[in-house]
Amino acid sequence: MKKYLVAYSIALQETLQRRSTLLMDRVGGFAVVLSLYSFWSALLGDKPSFLGYTRAEMMSYVLLINVLRAFVFTGRGWQTVSEISSGRISSYLVRPLSYHGYSLALDLAQKTVHVVSSFVEVAVLAWFVRGGVFLPRDPAAWLLFALSAALASLLFFFMEFMVSSLAFWTSESGGPLFCFDLFLQFAAGAFFPLDVLPAAVRRLLSATPFPYMVYVPVRVLLEKVSHAEAARLIAVEAAWLAAFALAAVALWRRGVRSYAAEGG
Amino acid sequence: MRARARKYGRIWLRTASMAVQAQLTYRLGSLGFLLGKMIRLVFFFAFVIAIFNHVQTVAGYSLAETALFFLTFNLVDMAAQILFRGVYGARRTVTEGDFDFYLIQPCSPLFRMVCSTVDFLDLVTIVPVLVMVGMVFARLPPLGLGRYLAYGALTVNAVVLVFAVHVLVAALAVRTQEMENAIWIYRDVMFMGKFPVDVYARPVRWALTFALPIAVMTTFPAKALLGILSPAWAAYSVALAAAAVALSLRFWRGSVALYTSSSS
Repeated sequence: MKKYLVAYSIALQETLQRRSTLLMDRVGGFAVVLSLYSFWSALLGDKPSFLGYTRAEMMSYVLLINVLRAFVFTGRGWQTVSEISSGRISSYLVRPLSYHGYSLALDLAQKTVHVVSSFVEVAVLAWFVRGGVFLPRDPAAWLLFALSAALASLLFFFMEFMVSSLAFWTSESGGPLFCFDLFLQFAAGAFFPLDVLPAAVRRLLSATPFPYMVYVPVRVLLEKVSHAEAARLIAVEAAWLAAFALAAVALWRRGVRSYAAEGG
Repeated sequence: MRARARKYGRIWLRTASMAVQAQLTYRLGSLGFLLGKMIRLVFFFAFVIAIFNHVQTVAGYSLAETALFFLTFNLVDMAAQILFRGVYGARRTVTEGDFDFYLIQPCSPLFRMVCSTVDFLDLVTIVPVLVMVGMVFARLPPLGLGRYLAYGALTVNAVVLVFAVHVLVAALAVRTQEMENAIWIYRDVMFMGKFPVDVYARPVRWALTFALPIAVMTTFPAKALLGILSPAWAAYSVALAAAAVALSLRFWRGSVALYTSSSS
């Protein structure tokens, strides 16, 4: 465990050291959330609610998107693809550590910095939000949200790991990863609440793990579901996580067996 | 002059052909990127349409008008990616020494760096965008030929402005051998152009018109077509593009003059 903590600590320092990269990443994230906030604000106008969300709830949804993007969608998929394709992964495979654990430690370091930054950005935007934002008073809602968001982050980690593992068999896995990342963000509700979509599309998406990444955690925090329903949703999310974690590890093992250390 | 244009046309065609062949070689990767681009386009368009199932207008604009803003953003963005894709690898071109070769070739190094990589995938993606623009035109009330000409002229003007941004980024790469993320800041901030500038608060609107002229690139052409852009703003748009190109070229020449080769 200690070696992963050391990896986390070093990665944290590296992330903080690359200040211009971090700043640019955050500017990008802030531009997206500012656009969405402005769009929804214009759309709501003087309407008291839209699609079952009050103005305060919708603004909270938009701001939470920024935090969850930082916490869930900050990943190392592209680095993993690059390390496998270039053969650099060989040096990790011979070390006495789990590449998954090592990646998770590095991933958490990035997330730590990005989440803290996103909170600052959201606090600044929330200051200007007309009509305020919705914050639940019930501590259970916060706890359930934290649990759901943590599971979402792990779910994304393993899903991205699976797609990145394609690099063991093809040097062209960047394309599928790009496609996966984009599809996931839309299907997760990271651009807009899924309530906007037609009922048939919503039903279809609810049978997939994608809405558990953003849409479900936000609805839990906004108290759009009862505690019992939230617990059920989190149980389903945990089941998805277990399935993807097992599949990702199995795929990784098969990939390592067929790995030929090209370029390494 | 004509011979010069023919020479550059030939170089562009040759390098474009090479880029297309490279992308066709990596079929799985290219398919993934193409699908990702289509997903981004289709999901956002579906989102705009879905929104208008619940409201009549957003910031005073109808569905066809809002779609026009969104599609104009896509036209400008994709045109830039097709024509100026080379900038995305500008830092690598400099640090790996390829820029030294550009300097001794009988061709403008700026042209080689900015224009000689063509993203074939965007060439494919722009076709449905053009079809959708045609469909939006058909849904608008009859407009005079002058409006369409103004739309076309200001869209070209927007691409010229985007060219200036790309020259600036290329010049930064030559001058600093860094700033790889600068182009991604531009891409992220361009996200704000997906919606008409009127949805933003006054200070943001001001910034998007004068400081980071995203509004000039994406909103102005559509407004000209809808007949709500005054001749003064159109003139400002053209003057801004001319000034931006002049300044960026000057900065480029200054950067090349200071360049001392960085690779070996």
